[in-house]
Formats: sequence, structure tokens, C-alpha cells
Amino acid sequence: MTGDPDDVATELRRLLAEVTGRPELIDVPARTPLFGGGVGLDSLAGTLLLRQIQRRYGVDVAAEDLNLDSLQTLGTLTAFIVDRLGSG
Amino acid sequence: MTSDPVIKAVVWDIDNTLLDGVYLESPGQPPAADPVLAGVLTELAGRGILQALASRNPPEAADYVRSVTGARFAAAECGWGSKAAAIGRIAAELDLPVDAIAFVDDDMLERAEVAAALPDVLVLTPEDAAEAATWPQFGPAVVTAEARRRGELYAERRERQAAASAFGGSRDDFLRHVGTRITIGRARPADLPRLHELSVRTHQLNSAGEPVTEAELAGLLESAAHQVATLRLADDFGDDGLVGAAIMTGNGAGEPVSLVQPVPIVRTAPLVMMSCRALGRGALDALLAWMCQAAARAGATELAVPCLVTDRNVPMRLALAAAGLRAEPGAVARDGRAIFSRSLTGDLPALPEWVRVEATPWQATP
Repeated sequence: MTGDPDDVATELRRLLAEVTGRPELIDVPARTPLFGGGVGLDSLAGTLLLRQIQRRYGVDVAAEDLNLDSLQTLGTLTAFIVDRLGSG
Repeated sequence: MTSDPVIKAVVWDIDNTLLDGVYLESPGQPPAADPVLAGVLTELAGRGILQALASRNPPEAADYVRSVTGARFAAAECGWGSKAAAIGRIAAELDLPVDAIAFVDDDMLERAEVAAALPDVLVLTPEDAAEAATWPQFGPAVVTAEARRRGELYAERRERQAAASAFGGSRDDFLRHVGTRITIGRARPADLPRLHELSVRTHQLNSAGEPVTEAELAGLLESAAHQVATLRLADDFGDDGLVGAAIMTGNGAGEPVSLVQPVPIVRTAPLVMMSCRALGRGALDALLAWMCQAAARAGATELAVPCLVTDRNVPMRLALAAAGLRAEPGAVARDGRAIFSRSLTGDLPALPEWVRVEATPWQATP
């Protein structure tokens, strides 16, 4: 499994566009908040995203991040995944 | 309106659906059958509707479910593959079109995947299935006007999903576009049966993970030290009625606020719950935003939600995070709970314009 940050960010953008049904999110900036006004990630889309991440990378974000702070932005989520892939 | 396809087979999940628990978690003594759903299964089988299993379990789980429900299953798919694929095999085995199949599963994600892969399958929560015997497409003997209305819920949901995937804008734009209406108010005695049912049936969006009896709820309604708030949800597709609730400590009528605050004034919510019917429709976000505002108005400086941390209620934790609540890292207590909290000073989550709060619902408490 490659942990290249650019590859992971590209894949996460693709997954985000898929689970939200919003193709324009394929270009979401790394620092846009995922919760709230920016992307508006909600419980349903968030859970689907976490499941896809677990399938794709074997990283169980919900089990490792009690507060889900890794979901603040696409950048923090990318860093979290890359870190887990690197240390695994 | 076109008539709904008649259901000829029901495919059931096992864990936390037909069984009142998880088969593999108690190997010595597996959980008993869920009495409500086992009754529905028997009733539907009596009308000639075929029954089948699709479960992430070893094959002996199917034998066990046979023994505790007394049911004869026309097909059983036990394994760790996709449930959509399992349903496809069951449809082939029983020689039925997929639009004659209903699928019941407590897991939102299993339901979402089946609904996406096989849009013609009637996908139901256990909560839906408990009522399904009265729906026209299950061929009941007597169909009341009210039952006919409930049976339309799934058609409404399908129309809503189709509209959402065609919409293309943000979630909030969509919720506005379909005329979403959320009403938050004080729980009334007539709400007690539904509140109890929600406390039993909700898992993914439930902070406490423990049922609350009607008697306990009635006591909380009487208590000046508690607020029980309900949330009702409707949009242009239909009215879902009472879908969620929160219990908060304190009567909200205004506590003395010390100008010198040596310690934070914490308002705690022992239970926050929402039906999965409301998922993706902004209802839990609205309830949490209202809780922050109501607690702040009552003089609290902090809102705390003790939440069971499991892999089942991750959607609840996502909503807590989105509303700005955080727990101390590593703070999961021995009982599996962590206290998620946030400050109520400064900016609070906003209520969208489609949320109506019933006028001063708690001010009249004696």
C-alpha cells in the first residue's frame, strides 16, 4: 500500500465526491473544513467515507481517533492516513 | 400513483435484527429471538411470503435462528461477502425478481449498500419491519388508512433519494429545496410510547445505548430537573413524525448565573437519539445545535454528552464532532463511555431557517 500523500489525497477526494454525491468535491481544497459550511459532511456521508477508507487502506479511523479530529479537513485526514500507512 | 410491487420474499439479517443481540458475541448461549420481529416473520410466513436469511455469520447461525424462531427458511446465505450479492443469489434460487424482495437489516451501511446495488429491493430497518405486516405490499387482510400511509414511507424515501442524487447542490441546499421542516418541542405524555420505542430501536444515532422505559420517561417529564425535547421531521415527500429526542438535566427556566464563575456550569444530556430514517436530513445536527442554544440560554457555560463509544454508533460521534463536542483523548471510561463536551461561550452552532422551536416550551414548568 502506497503512502504517498498526493496519491492518498487524490483518492480521498474521489471517495468524498462519491459518498456525498457531489462530483465537484473532487477539487476540494486541502484546508476546507469537512464539517459545517465548507463541505457539509454529515453523519451518513461521514460514516460511508470512514467505511470506504477502512476498505481501501485498512485504517479504522473511528477506532483510532475518538474525537474524529482527523476529519477536520481533507489535509488532516490525508496526514492521518499517511501516518498510519507509514507506521504500519 | 403506481401500485407497489407485491413482496414475495423477505430476506432477514440475523445480528440485532432477528436475534436480540450478536450471535458470535455469546457462543455459550446465543441471544434469544427478537420477539417483535419473530412475530412479524411468523405472520408474513403465514400469508405465504417466503423467508430467507442473509448474515455475516457462520452457517450454524442459520440453524440456531431456525431453532429459536421455529421458521422454515426458503434460503440462507451466511458468509462474509456482500449482502447485495447474497440477495441476488437468493432471488435466483427462489426464481423471483428483486422488486418482489424485502431486506431487513439494523445496519445502516448494509442497507445503504443493498439500496445502491439493488435499487428495486425494498430495504427496511427493523423499525419499519415491525410495522410491515400492515403495509399493502405485504398483502395484509385489513388495510387501514393509517397503515396505507405508513406503507408509502418507503416510496417517499425512494423518491427523496432519487431527487437527492439528481440535485447536485450542497446538502443544505437540497434540504431547503425539498421543503424540510423540523419542529423541536417539549415531550408530551402522548409521545411516551414512541420515545420508548426510539430508545430501544435506535443504535447508530444513540448516545446512551440503553433502553429507557415508559415509566422512566414519564418520571422525567414530571421532573423539574430535566428537559425532554422531541424532534419531528417532515418535507415535501412526506411526514416522518417524531424521529428523535434528547434528555437534558435542568429545567431550562433560567438558573442564577454567577458573574464570577469559578467552575463551568455544565448542562448534561444523558440521552440523545435519532431514528435512522432521519439520517442525512440534518435532524441530529439541528437537535444538537438547539441543545447548545437552550443550555446557553439557561445559563450553562458547557454542554456535556456522555456517549457510549462503539463501532455501531460512529454516526452519533460524527454528529457530536460536527457540533464541536470533544472528549479528552483516551478518556473512555470502564463502562465504555466518554464525555463529549463543548464550551457554550462564543459562537454556537446555528439553526437553519427550516427549524421551528415551539414557543418557550419549558418556561411554564412549576
